[in-house]
Amino acid sequence: MLEIRDLRVYYGAACALDGVSLDADDASITAVLGANGAGKTTLLRAISGLLRPPAGSIRYEGKELIGLAPDVIARLGIAHVPEGRGVIEELTVEENLRLGGLWRTDRADQKRAMEEVLALFPPLEPRRRQHALSLSGGERQMLVIGRALMARPRLLLLDEPSLGLAPLVVAQIMALLRRLCDESKITVLLVEQNARSALSVAEKGVVLNLGSVVVTERADALARDEDLRHAYLGF
Amino acid sequence: MRVKVPQRPLFRHLLFAALAAAVFLTYTAKTDAFTAYKLAGVAFFLVAIAGLNLLTGLSGQLSLGHGALMAIGAYTTALVLRNRAHFPIAAAIILAVVVTAAVGAFVGIAAARLRGPYLAGATLALAVGLPPLTTKYAGFFGGDQGISVRPLAPPAIGSTFAPEQWLAWISIIAALITLVLLANLQRSRFGRAFKCVRDNEIAAALSGINVARTQVFAFVVSAACAGLAGSLLAFYAGLTAPAGFSIVLSLQLLTAIVIGGLGSMTGSVLGAFALVYIPSWSDSLTSHFNLHSAVSDNIPAALYGGVLIIAMLLFPGGIAGGLRKLKAMLIRHLKGGRLHGASPEVLGAGSASVARAGKEEG
Amino acid sequence: MHQFIVLTLKGLTLGMIYAGMALSLVLIWRATRIVNFAQGAMAMFTTYIALSVVDRGGSYWLAFVVALAAGLLVGGAVERLLVRPIESAPPLNAVILALGILLVLEAVVPMIWGGQIRSFPPAFSIIGVTVGKTHIALSPFDIFTLAVLVGVMLLLVLLFRGTRLGLRMRASAFSPEVARLLGVRVGRMLTLGWALATMVGALAGVLIAPVTLLAPTSMDVVLVFGFTAAILGGLESPVGALIGGIIIGLALNYVGGYLSTDLEPLGALVILIAVLMFRPQGIISRTGERRV
Repeated sequence: MLEIRDLRVYYGAACALDGVSLDADDASITAVLGANGAGKTTLLRAISGLLRPPAGSIRYEGKELIGLAPDVIARLGIAHVPEGRGVIEELTVEENLRLGGLWRTDRADQKRAMEEVLALFPPLEPRRRQHALSLSGGERQMLVIGRALMARPRLLLLDEPSLGLAPLVVAQIMALLRRLCDESKITVLLVEQNARSALSVAEKGVVLNLGSVVVTERADALARDEDLRHAYLGF
Repeated sequence: MRVKVPQRPLFRHLLFAALAAAVFLTYTAKTDAFTAYKLAGVAFFLVAIAGLNLLTGLSGQLSLGHGALMAIGAYTTALVLRNRAHFPIAAAIILAVVVTAAVGAFVGIAAARLRGPYLAGATLALAVGLPPLTTKYAGFFGGDQGISVRPLAPPAIGSTFAPEQWLAWISIIAALITLVLLANLQRSRFGRAFKCVRDNEIAAALSGINVARTQVFAFVVSAACAGLAGSLLAFYAGLTAPAGFSIVLSLQLLTAIVIGGLGSMTGSVLGAFALVYIPSWSDSLTSHFNLHSAVSDNIPAALYGGVLIIAMLLFPGGIAGGLRKLKAMLIRHLKGGRLHGASPEVLGAGSASVARAGKEEG
Repeated sequence: MHQFIVLTLKGLTLGMIYAGMALSLVLIWRATRIVNFAQGAMAMFTTYIALSVVDRGGSYWLAFVVALAAGLLVGGAVERLLVRPIESAPPLNAVILALGILLVLEAVVPMIWGGQIRSFPPAFSIIGVTVGKTHIALSPFDIFTLAVLVGVMLLLVLLFRGTRLGLRMRASAFSPEVARLLGVRVGRMLTLGWALATMVGALAGVLIAPVTLLAPTSMDVVLVFGFTAAILGGLESPVGALIGGIIIGLALNYVGGYLSTDLEPLGALVILIAVLMFRPQGIISRTGERRV
């Protein structure tokens, strides 16, 4: 579904991504791993159009994404949950959710989507009319994933969802991602520093270091390779 | 034989000033009264512009109220000379400087915590708020008619030495003194403090700079310059009236430093010439094309506005900045480096904003 | 006492107009984080256009509508053509751009319409209303002014809080990047924001022109008052703009009535400095501290 070839991104003279290539298969979870500064966030921002790479190609179902505006890419069915979650604090929970699917034209379907999302994330329901400012870290993560789901995306880009969350909540979110993948056939590109959790639900793992791909491997094999884990993944 | 340029900045500046003085003073003495008059205008506008450049370009504080400060200088001079035929001119000018600097201190302290658009708005309020005082207290300030100022009488140098030339001499000397002082200030630890505060207040405070005091100091210096310029303007115009000190004056000064490039001394000179010669060019355009006075009166302001808009759209660094960019481009080209990503010339707020923008890319 | 009542009522009306100007500044600030110092000049420009309509024999109401439409167009055009290209530049650039627009407008307007002071017709009579035997210091025009501004503000609230478009606009103002990721055409929202803001400014201009008379620089003061009101109200909230406007209107009208109209701008300056020194985030602030 997603084919990235030879992607290069620079910040000024510094190279953030140096010829990155990877594939994300349909209805699967691909974990993108690596230390801070490895380029993982840059990769997602390039895919969703927030950055424009000067070289390389990003193909989504055959369509070239580089050069398209972020809102255009979003409307192709790609949902990017950014670093820091991107909760719009000034809006209520419900407004945040509605916003996620606002570009879709089928209002009845949007109503259904709202009900589905609230069913998926029960803690959000009683807080519907509260400002998103008042949510806890875990609730915010649920909110932004729910908001992304409102658009009925085919590809979900998640940037470090586990950041700052208790292990129990992290496990719940990972399990949720697995369910989304299995039941709704959503493709997930999961950027994580918490490699262990990510690999526990992913099919494939891609390890970045200093802007390059050092290893692409099946998740279970990656999790078993002690040398690799110690070298790049921190466990 | 190589000319030995003095190493210490102060000596360099003095030498340069002395040379400039020799050149300009001789030129003014020889040329006709009208040109001398124009040069006088350039000179004192240069004083105001250089002062504003210190505040806005170097210290990062955008003031829209310097027209009002010039008014204070002008009115101080006019008031003190009114009905006092033998009051020494030098004293009148110095008094203007002192009074305006004091007001500058007051405003600076009140505005010390303000930045960006808040400072701009507050100083705009000052620019809009001061002129009506002349109507309110018309008895003292002469109301809309203003106060007339007698022309400077040249000493007995010769009958051919016109008052305009004398005014030009005084203005040029004042301008050179100001420029030398400002240039030295720029190179001193104060100048560095200004730049530090402009670029990153927190870092500046952490390195021991008293931010508020630095800001106020910049304000006082620039106000003193405005006071001096206003004082000379009073002689130049022969009159101080509120109409001459509207916000257009403040915006003209801003345009001048934008044309020349924020923070650039040489740019200030360019800006000063622009401010004096643009109106006279538009005057000749008017007579040439027989334009209605409603049109011709407003051509300079329209031009200034256009310059500001175009400068922000195309050349945020002003002409001086544009030249710097050109130079950087050439260097990059010659070195054949693989540098991606533009580094836009930024205004006053300087490198901090660029760095921040780069970091946001995340 | 009578003078106090008169001043209060008039101050209320003027305050609503300043609130309108403040509201347009707040709308633009929220959308693009820019203080549009040209807002007064733009309102002046649209009012002159309305005056043209009247000069050519058009009815007041036609001129009124034309002014509002002109506000939409001018605001949208300025955002799209001049502001958009510099949106990623430092905020100082936007301030200077706005000042450039101010200069150009204040220069071009007298070129087209001449520089002399013009009178602008009010919508209704400006003579105070008489109820029974008592003469109230509120004229039909004052009542109209209050009603129209309140009406417009209510409509805006309805737009922002009750419609999908409004939600998109708010999201674009609060978090443009996130909004883009959610499929919102942020650029269009910003243009619309400027268009609406300038329309509100145009409304304020048309309503205050009968009072202040119309000249190329007559809105400078209104801008300063509107700015002060916006800061007082906190810059972030339309409600703040409303409250700020009313307070400024009242306060300055008292200054004008008891001291002198010439001292009003200085009064605004004093209030402005006081607010910025002691409570820079304004009366209504959600986020607490603000760096000014």
